[in-house]
Amino acid sequence: MDVLGIIIAALFAQNFVLVKFMGICPFLGVSKKPSAALGMGLAVTAVMVITCLVTYPIYVFVLLPLKLEYLEIIVFILIIAALVQMLEMILKKFSPGLYSALGIYLPLVTTNCAILGVAELVIEMTTVEEAHFVHRVFNTVAGGFTDYGMAMSLGEAVFSGLMYGLGFTLAIVLLAGLRQKVDKLNVAKPLRGFPMTMLTACFMAMAFYIFTLI
Amino acid sequence: MTNLLADGIGRNIDWATFGIVVGIMSGVALVLALCIILISRFCQVKEDPRIKEVEQRLAGANCGACGHPGCAGFAKALVEGKATLDSCGQTNKEAQIEISNILGVAFDGATEPTVAVVACCGGNQCDDKYAYQGYGNCVNQNMLAGGRKACEVGCMGSGSCVDACPYMAIECFDGYAHIDPDICRSCGLCIQTCPKRLIKRVPKSAKVYVACSTECRGKDVMTKCKAGCIACGKCERTCPNGAIHLVNNVPIIDYSKCINCGKCLEACPRHCIKYVNPADEPGKNVTKVESETPDKAE
Repeated sequence: MDVLGIIIAALFAQNFVLVKFMGICPFLGVSKKPSAALGMGLAVTAVMVITCLVTYPIYVFVLLPLKLEYLEIIVFILIIAALVQMLEMILKKFSPGLYSALGIYLPLVTTNCAILGVAELVIEMTTVEEAHFVHRVFNTVAGGFTDYGMAMSLGEAVFSGLMYGLGFTLAIVLLAGLRQKVDKLNVAKPLRGFPMTMLTACFMAMAFYIFTLI
Repeated sequence: MTNLLADGIGRNIDWATFGIVVGIMSGVALVLALCIILISRFCQVKEDPRIKEVEQRLAGANCGACGHPGCAGFAKALVEGKATLDSCGQTNKEAQIEISNILGVAFDGATEPTVAVVACCGGNQCDDKYAYQGYGNCVNQNMLAGGRKACEVGCMGSGSCVDACPYMAIECFDGYAHIDPDICRSCGLCIQTCPKRLIKRVPKSAKVYVACSTECRGKDVMTKCKAGCIACGKCERTCPNGAIHLVNNVPIIDYSKCINCGKCLEACPRHCIKYVNPADEPGKNVTKVESETPDKAE
């Protein structure tokens, strides 16, 4: 997978919110104001990058050699929660401004499925022939080496974490801008407020779906 | 793979793998816990100790009436000088003086304390326009044609304010809400909750308030409510200080002119001017005289 491919996929074709429908909760909940939406988007991006940076090596160098791939979700959730906790404390110490800007959004990110989604996505396995990066693992049972094909290397994994985060930011900021415009329109009474937001999000998702067909 | 034991249902449990899984999970948990402990040790942020002290002395209801996120947020704003004690109507005077000492600012007596009153005394004496059998409290009821009361501004007595009050100062009986002025700290949550906007603040030193908010003419009120104000204007004429005026058929008391004589209350033919503190009512004359003296001293 080349860099351009990752960028296009992460921002448009495989946009986490509008195509994969992950992380809908903050997408609808924190998109009232563009500034808040940007904060949420950046928090998600930061956590995604760090998550990829930590979960990828743990999966490749711990879980795969021990043939414990099925533990990935529970281990990843644990790691993500702990990481967000640490990130919060570090930010509080070294960058109080950013800490107060992100505010409540940072802890909220912990349970966001988009984060788990990106952690799962970057360890996606293909066949050895198609894979970009092959990892040799000593098989304890058979006593020989087994080849695992990984779709991405560590660098690519972290880069796609960043890009998927930016894709999320793009979607949530766009929706926040649209919501502000839509709120000023004269909308039929039953559709006013949240229903109109859902419709807006729906049309955005339809627009982004075009990219998957290219 | 040697440790294969049957669990009785016919499944084999791979105890070796089980051990590895438990080991990995506890290993990961341990490493993460260590990291968190280390980081929290190195990244301790020195907070102003005064914030904690101020927070302990605030009322602690976290009502949010001051516009800050809870008492902790208010304490932070106070220490940073972004807020004044006036915003909090609930902290008592002693605590306010202590907080002023901690902050090193002069205590200016703050604002005059207020209490909330319900400007309706219709209750069961006010007719219903339909029988409400639906779910819930006044807020829900108000969505169905503005509640069941025939009066547009009648208390439904279904207790939205009772639920909202963090001090349990409100009680609903006789079909409308009553606020105990001794418990009320004027946080304003009921004022925001009441769908009819019936609850108002009056100064704590005030003795009487107008317990009706209808703007209808007297004849219309007569047909709907046995307790409502008919805008006869007797209170306006009786008041020796000109503190009461009828505005849109509602008597409004100007508390800066009111001398707490109680003549309006005696004159009102509908008994809808009431004592703020029910303990002031005749028959309890002893307390009345006692409470009058400190009122005037203030």
